[in-house]
Amino acid sequence: MCDRFRLAAEAVGAVIKHFSCIGEARDYLMGIAGGGAVSCSTLPTHLRDALAIDASGTAVPADAVLCISRAEAGIAATGSLLIDLKGPEGRAATALAPIHAVFLDPTTIVPTLYDLGERLNRMLTSGDQAYFSLTTGPSRTADIERVLTIGVHGPIELHILMIEGCCHE
Amino acid sequence: MSNATIQNKINDTFLRRALKNFAAAYPVARAKAFEGVDFEALRSRIAQNKQIALQQMPDLIARFTASAERTGAKVHFCRRPEDARAVMLEIIRSKGADFLVKSKAMTSEEIDLNHYLEANGVRCLETDLGEWIIQLAGERPSHMVMPAIHKNKEDVAELFSKATGSDCPPDIPFLVQKARETLRSGFLEGQVGMSGANVAMADSGALAIITNEGNGRLVTTLPRTHIALIGVEKIVPSMTEALDVIEVLPKNATGQKLTSYVSFIKGSTGGDGHELHIVLLDNGRMDLAANPDFGQALQCVKCGACANVCPIYEIVGGHVFGHIYVGGIGLVLTPFFHGMDKAEEILKLCIGCRKCNEVCAAKIDIEGLIVDLRDKIRKPFGQTFMFGTMMKNRTLFHTTLRAAYLAQKPLQGDGGRIRHLPLMFDALAAGKSLPPIAEKPYRDLVQEKRFSSQKERVLFYSGCLADFVYPELCMDTAESLERLGYEVVFPKKQSCCGIPARYSGEMDVARDMARINLDVLLEQEADYVVTICPTCSISLKHDFPKLLAKESDYHAKAEKLAAKVFNYSELVARKIDFDSAQPTDGSLSGVEGRTIITYHDSCHLKRGCGVFEEPRTVLTGLVGAQIREMTDCDKCCGFGGSYSLKYPEIAREVLLNKIENIKATGTTTVAVDCPGCRMQIEGGLEAVGANLRVEHTASLVAQSLRRG
Repeated sequence: MCDRFRLAAEAVGAVIKHFSCIGEARDYLMGIAGGGAVSCSTLPTHLRDALAIDASGTAVPADAVLCISRAEAGIAATGSLLIDLKGPEGRAATALAPIHAVFLDPTTIVPTLYDLGERLNRMLTSGDQAYFSLTTGPSRTADIERVLTIGVHGPIELHILMIEGCCHE
Repeated sequence: MSNATIQNKINDTFLRRALKNFAAAYPVARAKAFEGVDFEALRSRIAQNKQIALQQMPDLIARFTASAERTGAKVHFCRRPEDARAVMLEIIRSKGADFLVKSKAMTSEEIDLNHYLEANGVRCLETDLGEWIIQLAGERPSHMVMPAIHKNKEDVAELFSKATGSDCPPDIPFLVQKARETLRSGFLEGQVGMSGANVAMADSGALAIITNEGNGRLVTTLPRTHIALIGVEKIVPSMTEALDVIEVLPKNATGQKLTSYVSFIKGSTGGDGHELHIVLLDNGRMDLAANPDFGQALQCVKCGACANVCPIYEIVGGHVFGHIYVGGIGLVLTPFFHGMDKAEEILKLCIGCRKCNEVCAAKIDIEGLIVDLRDKIRKPFGQTFMFGTMMKNRTLFHTTLRAAYLAQKPLQGDGGRIRHLPLMFDALAAGKSLPPIAEKPYRDLVQEKRFSSQKERVLFYSGCLADFVYPELCMDTAESLERLGYEVVFPKKQSCCGIPARYSGEMDVARDMARINLDVLLEQEADYVVTICPTCSISLKHDFPKLLAKESDYHAKAEKLAAKVFNYSELVARKIDFDSAQPTDGSLSGVEGRTIITYHDSCHLKRGCGVFEEPRTVLTGLVGAQIREMTDCDKCCGFGGSYSLKYPEIAREVLLNKIENIKATGTTTVAVDCPGCRMQIEGGLEAVGANLRVEHTASLVAQSLRRG
């Protein structure tokens, strides 16, 4: 399942990395941020703590070079990530930052879109408001001469950081 | 549609190349995207669910409205385009705003929103790259999913240079980056954001938006007000039905397994002061949903696949083949959304090949709806005489055809073929030569008789073209069927199957032709009624029962006849004794002594009758040929019956594509199962000086049986 996910995600231009602990992931993230501003307001507190990025270090969405999120689940058939985007600031950052990095617990990967159906339905029917997304690869367009070009309005790079158990506190 | 406009598109070399490349790349990408997915099951489910939803449309709208308002969103139901425009202007004004930042919505194009808002002092910015290009050019989309497919990078560079005031080179990555930088401020400064939606769910009041660029997320997030403009047919009961739409749409639209972003939006999540307004657009949809004849058009999920596979779209593009909505479904929706006056001309542009039906994500009979809509258009002068007086009177029609044999004499060149026609008819011979009308039609060469033996009985229905132009093909048909053990009778009172009338919207004449032929073909008890023209087969088998559905006696007759109708190859394939016919097989390739031929699938045989294996079985098993398949073997040859008379310049281009694919096989014989395809292809091959022969399968079988 993990291999199928990797193949599908890489086919649409995502970068997949496996880490055994948050510390390793932190070095990687700092590397791709290259000293630029980081936004991680959608990240659960325990992950933010583990990455040692405090709230004051979080950039306003429009200035962020790197946005870090966590996926609720993955879809193997399409290499997609289910990301909860209810908070408007974090949501803006996922679309404005040129680099988007998403933590994914490989044990949450399901085979197809339909296997997520019940969960998506629950997310929509519980609570008064919701905003979530299936994200598949970086932003893309083929609107000029049908030439595939990566990174139009949204992220130019999508990094998927696989750490088992990263969803749990 | 003026011929000058059409010719203009035909001469647009960039457009032609772009559409041709796309036509070649799309099926490959699509097939890959659907790997492991049962497309037929998926689209059947979508069709069924949409059908149910359309029947419950008022209830679904009420349920969606109640659910969405529970989330805090405000829902505005707008019956007419002007209502929707006014409601949106009011929302924008109530926010003290004058800048609307938009992601892609075909509904916005449908109601011509931008012009209205701009005239009322609201600046509109399209942020989908393709839509922005179109906006800068002051044009309309030429494809529902790829709006600027007709623009090349040089055009885009010029538009961007003008818009940004800086010199932009025609370099695609540069231009995309330029759009990113230029439009970024629009997202940040836009006071109101507008989107469409691909699906809306009645139980939760949520929307799903399927996009690639990321602008959808930005326009629904950054401005303090979000307006979603949605056609009411996008409402489904729940997530269950929505998932199917999400599963099929990217695969069928662009050959992507899934787009970069599928956003689910329920209520406003923008924080304090943020509002979500959902504008539900009717614009004829409620009436259409309740229309028993055409309601299924609203099953459409707007994937654009019908344009992607259309041989006519490939030649002329969406500015000719459509109005606001383009492609096959665009032709169908236009009369209901924009009025019959906008639809009359474009409805005639369909050649009837049914490629669209094969790929439609919602299993809509697009081609059938187009043909049925032609009944409602104004008929050209002369057409009524042609069909109403002449075709219905068999003796007059056949006498006229006989007279044409003499009239054509001065026009015949070497070998008797016609290469030029006088004055306005000359376009008909453009890019091809025409076979002459035979001195004696088949009906004059054959004896009228009744069944008299104990053999299986075949009534032979030749069709007009074979009868009057290819009598030798009719002889081959009768002879080969007799050699295969059938008794064959040709009833001389058979007349035109009525398809030319039906395709021209003369439904009453088509009904008359159906009754006339039913009486003739049921006069003697036969086991089979065999045709050598798949268009006639469709008419006899499928159209007669449909046309006469309201006449109980004739409908019963039509059903009786339909059960007996067989295409030649369909019947003959049953006679193949596989044990003895395949001794040379095992590996068909390179079998010594086998003639190598290529096979062209007639549109009406493959997609009208579902017959495509049988001719190949007959050609390999009975004729002993080896088939070398051509690229796009089942793509239209450009004949389309009277289509090549109405739009000779388009038909010619479609034919040239076919000729190119045939020549690339390097074979010397093209087999077909349709006299119309034969006429079109042999005329095209002769015109380009290619030395290939085109034969109907029946003739190849007859020749093979004669050799013994």
